[in-house]
Amino acid sequence: MSDVIGANLPRRDAEDKLRGRTVFTVDAAEGGLLHAALCRSQVPAGRIVSIDLEPARRMPGVRAVVSAADAPGRYGITIADHPLFAVDQIRYLGEPIAAVAAETLEQARAAASAIVVEVEEYTPLVTMAQALADDARDLHPGWEDYDVLVEGGRRGRNIGWEATVVRGDTDAAFARDDVRIVETEFVAGRQNQAPLEPRACVAGYENGRFVIQTSTQVPWAVRNSTARLLGVREADVRVVVPPVGGGFGMKFEVSLEPFAALLARAAGRPVKLVNSRQEEMQTALCRENAEIRIRSAVTESGEIVAREAVVLMDCGAYGGEQPFLTSMTAHTLGGNYRLGAVRLVSRAVYTNTPPNGAFRACNGTYCTAALERHTDEICAAIGMDRVEFRRRNVLGDGDLGSTGQVFEGDVLAPMIDRMVALRDSAPVERADDGRLHGTATTVGTWFIFVGPSAATVNLNPDGTATLVTAGVEIGSGSTMQAIPQLVADSLGLRPEDVTVRAADTDAAGYDGGVGGGRTTVSLGAAGVAACDEVRRKVFDLAAEMLEAAPGDLVLTDGHVAVNGVPSARITLREVAERAQSVSGPISGSGSFTGIGVQPMSGCAAGHMIGALDLPVFAVHECDVAVDPDTGHVEVLAYRVVQDVGRAINPRAVRGQVQGGVVQGLGYALHEEITIDARGKVRQTGFETYRMPLSGDVVPVRLDLYEGAPSFGPLGVKGAGEVPILNVAAAVSCAVADAIGKPVSQIPLTPQRVLGLVLGRADEDVELRHIGPGWRANVIADPDELMAAAGV
Amino acid sequence: MTELFVNGEARRVHADPMTPLSGVLREELHLRGTKAACGEGFCGSCTVFVDDDAVASCLVPLGLAEGRSVRTVESLADPTGALSPLQQAMKDNDAVQCGMCFPGMLMSLTALLETNPSPERRDVHEALVGNICRCTGYERIVDAALTAARAATAAVEEDAS
Amino acid sequence: MTVPTAPGLYQPTSLDDAVERLAVAGPDAAPIAGATWIMRSPSRGEPFHREYVSLARIEELRRIDDDGAALTIGAAVTHARLAQALTGYPALEALRQAAAASANPSVRRQATVGGNLCTRDFAAADLAPALLSLSARVVLAGPAGITTAPLSTFLTTRDSQPPGTVLAHVSVPLAPVVSAHARLTLRRAGDYPVAIVSVAATLDQAGVVESATVAVGSVEPVARLWPELAAAMTGRPLDADEAVRTARELAGAFTPRTSVEADGWYRLQVLPTVVGRAVRALEPHGKAGRT
Repeated sequence: MSDVIGANLPRRDAEDKLRGRTVFTVDAAEGGLLHAALCRSQVPAGRIVSIDLEPARRMPGVRAVVSAADAPGRYGITIADHPLFAVDQIRYLGEPIAAVAAETLEQARAAASAIVVEVEEYTPLVTMAQALADDARDLHPGWEDYDVLVEGGRRGRNIGWEATVVRGDTDAAFARDDVRIVETEFVAGRQNQAPLEPRACVAGYENGRFVIQTSTQVPWAVRNSTARLLGVREADVRVVVPPVGGGFGMKFEVSLEPFAALLARAAGRPVKLVNSRQEEMQTALCRENAEIRIRSAVTESGEIVAREAVVLMDCGAYGGEQPFLTSMTAHTLGGNYRLGAVRLVSRAVYTNTPPNGAFRACNGTYCTAALERHTDEICAAIGMDRVEFRRRNVLGDGDLGSTGQVFEGDVLAPMIDRMVALRDSAPVERADDGRLHGTATTVGTWFIFVGPSAATVNLNPDGTATLVTAGVEIGSGSTMQAIPQLVADSLGLRPEDVTVRAADTDAAGYDGGVGGGRTTVSLGAAGVAACDEVRRKVFDLAAEMLEAAPGDLVLTDGHVAVNGVPSARITLREVAERAQSVSGPISGSGSFTGIGVQPMSGCAAGHMIGALDLPVFAVHECDVAVDPDTGHVEVLAYRVVQDVGRAINPRAVRGQVQGGVVQGLGYALHEEITIDARGKVRQTGFETYRMPLSGDVVPVRLDLYEGAPSFGPLGVKGAGEVPILNVAAAVSCAVADAIGKPVSQIPLTPQRVLGLVLGRADEDVELRHIGPGWRANVIADPDELMAAAGV
Repeated sequence: MTELFVNGEARRVHADPMTPLSGVLREELHLRGTKAACGEGFCGSCTVFVDDDAVASCLVPLGLAEGRSVRTVESLADPTGALSPLQQAMKDNDAVQCGMCFPGMLMSLTALLETNPSPERRDVHEALVGNICRCTGYERIVDAALTAARAATAAVEEDAS
Repeated sequence: MTVPTAPGLYQPTSLDDAVERLAVAGPDAAPIAGATWIMRSPSRGEPFHREYVSLARIEELRRIDDDGAALTIGAAVTHARLAQALTGYPALEALRQAAAASANPSVRRQATVGGNLCTRDFAAADLAPALLSLSARVVLAGPAGITTAPLSTFLTTRDSQPPGTVLAHVSVPLAPVVSAHARLTLRRAGDYPVAIVSVAATLDQAGVVESATVAVGSVEPVARLWPELAAAMTGRPLDADEAVRTARELAGAFTPRTSVEADGWYRLQVLPTVVGRAVRALEPHGKAGRT
């Protein structure tokens, strides 16, 4: 093995970023660019009576105006429910109605605001409680006619998707007379990804094709969704991606690209469209707010004989990611622990609010928080130590997950032991300053969203390599750091001899996108597979040149050498040059996709991910001090034991963990989003949307847990997604421990915590719209689900 | 027409006097190292020096900067190409992720180190109250600033001895 | 509808010129100094004025003068400069703390004393309660000449000043007081405080409060004095715990505001704690007095 793997190599893109030379999409400034602005709805719900675009067309500098008539399609991930522009109905405040391109941004904005929209307003259904009321208006009349892109989810009555899990006889288990029944409710707010680079793109129209430069994590999804929305062939959309100034999931879907594309075609000139920060605050594809009830039957000895839960996920006006993400409940809330019997329902609920999207450890953050608060309440009910309970009950080798998947290897239990050791190595002092101290240990299960990836590796005549993928560098370093490290290792090159081609759907094969912790695993594996082909070709050629058997050759230090005979070697450059006249240039292509682990038959309905191909585990612990007079929570110490499979670049992994934990602290403590009765996000900028600042954070103490089973290249697992997973859980449990009262809602702002300390009624969580029992909360026939699961 | 001195050079710009300086730097002078991520003085990505003060250039109307000297992130590295000690410390500490906040971080920290060559950790935190980083969780940025400060102080002491 | 015309910026070098320009323009124009609030008008959805009259190049408004009896602070002095200038004035510690802690460092290098006191919609201004506690007066220049008024009066009448009125200076008496400023932000720093308390007091040799002034910011839409609490503190030694108890009894005097950041009940609930922090900062002075 080379010295490239496990090395703390520097980032190739750091220097330009430090010099201010990196050109992000927001920085694009080619000549002749038009600037675009969207006309957005000023009301949250209503019927469109008329739209008059003429005033905009007459405004100075205007070169194109487009609206719903120009974009016939609808898109979605499971259900194609989302038109580009509002058609007939307005479903959220800020919904695009028309788009304008003009010579200057000011002209475009002025023209957009000149468009006259007449709307017959409806009473908006802003909360899930309102949307689920028996007499609630249907947000999507005609939902039965939408194209179904993925089969299996139950829908109806403002429920965009329902996924269920049934395994074992839960009713019987709850009826046992030797169990305690513990019930917990939990409510989590939205979280805005707030990358410093907002969503932005530049589109042109060349030779009958759309060419889109955009700040995205998913070039191929943008290609496909844009084509779908505009009613053109996917092949007629090209997507290129320069460095991305942060994504965190918000850029995991198509966003502004189709507007700019339409305008570019109409105007005959390239068009730039960038969301203002105010637009990003109102329309970000946030982590969804969620409402959860979880109930368990536990014996006095701490065996969980049954668990059931209802999880409501607010998808906003359109489905987007949430129908897909309902799958995750089975593995996050339904994960971690051995369960005798289980049934879960996860519902994506339409509301008249901006659509939500993906955010680092989607669904996992709040489901883990709810589950771990519930776990602590179980421990309190049966009088068992919180760490001991977890050690006894976490999933180990051969145990069944909620959907019946068989887990491999003992991972979580030894990680808990490592956490105890980490804690004991540096005890946290509790100052006697009148504050309330608390601590908590939480476990979490996440997964690598593997999925298909392609890579090409060209061995250039000069003996260097070029890696061509649709992988985007969003800041995590996986594309610019980890993957070239893998390629360099595989070809015996220095990482600086591996050029990384920026993502371009015309150059690289399909890829599922940068997110879900998949990049290093999926693109890395595809890259390594491409290298395997290069190696074969190199060895075949070099075998002749060195008069050795191909099987005896190795690649090292830029040379092909005969194993064990250091003097018998030639440079890779010589081989590459030789190939020019013998076989032609050497290149390799590689691909990868998930292994397709299946759930137990009949256990999971409506799931796009019924079982985890590649689970990832995390143990988090924190110590907090709560000011009982003001409700301020100070995190005194934070510890993480993270399952990374294998750390390709440990220092880079540590950077991801620190950043992810801090984002989680923002979610747990500071970052509040409230939506008023008119569907308006009240936090309109960074004055009131409070992300953690440098003084609010602590250095995370981290123990990288290596060696858990992984089919990733060299045994890696993605490391960037999971650090945020159980932060809200750890903080919520620690605060509850400190104040001696249940914590049922995040973020734990000072006001909320003080309200809890004082026992104020406005902090009580009561989810009346979640019906009693599990059966009352499924559209599907509960008996049929039970029968399908063999109960 | 407004005249400013940008990174040591006299520049004349056409923008209206109430145009934010950040916009003038980015759009008219093509100095796109200066970012404008929030437009309200909270994220710090647009931080530049106007005369001796590091300020949020999104809140500076061009007219108020007339005749004054402006320094942007592009001026930090040595003209020969070497990174400044602070930039080098960021690189060495593997502090950079997406990179959007760094131009502003570097300017705020340059301001700190110019006035306080031996800061404590909490001084760095206070200097960065107006700088948001969404990626890194800050620790390496703070470490790098302290590393750069210590290196500079050590160099000064060596010169003196 | 048309593309809005870009606002103008007039940059006089004399106060008289500024006053005249503003008086002639009437509601079409407004003064500007640090610009930090005005530049955010678009994000608040507020239109710009047609013209801004800058105070930044008027030399006398950029000065801080000490005549022995009072410190006269020009309206265009920034928070950062003010904080720096006050290091030699222990009596004005409340003001120094306010100037050194408000907003964030770059905003403090731009935002001015005048802007802090004149921005009607900025309930969380730090300098306002600090200056109130120090019994500051404002010096207003207008078409009719120079007038002065207690800051407390100005804060409640600032919307009804005639066009052309410019807050030119703030005059802070150099009295033998001790003072402190406490502010409660939701994060450690960087957001606007939900409650601000400034306290100034004169102490006798035994450390007993001879007179006190307490001002509260951010709890109500406009900063104001809290005379009842000041009266209750007078004639007793400085005692933070006692001040908290008294503040709790008297807090009903406030009608707290609810905003995106915090509800009214929260501001009211934490107000006594913030009082306690300000008074605790003063306690060493009381003990020093007794020795």
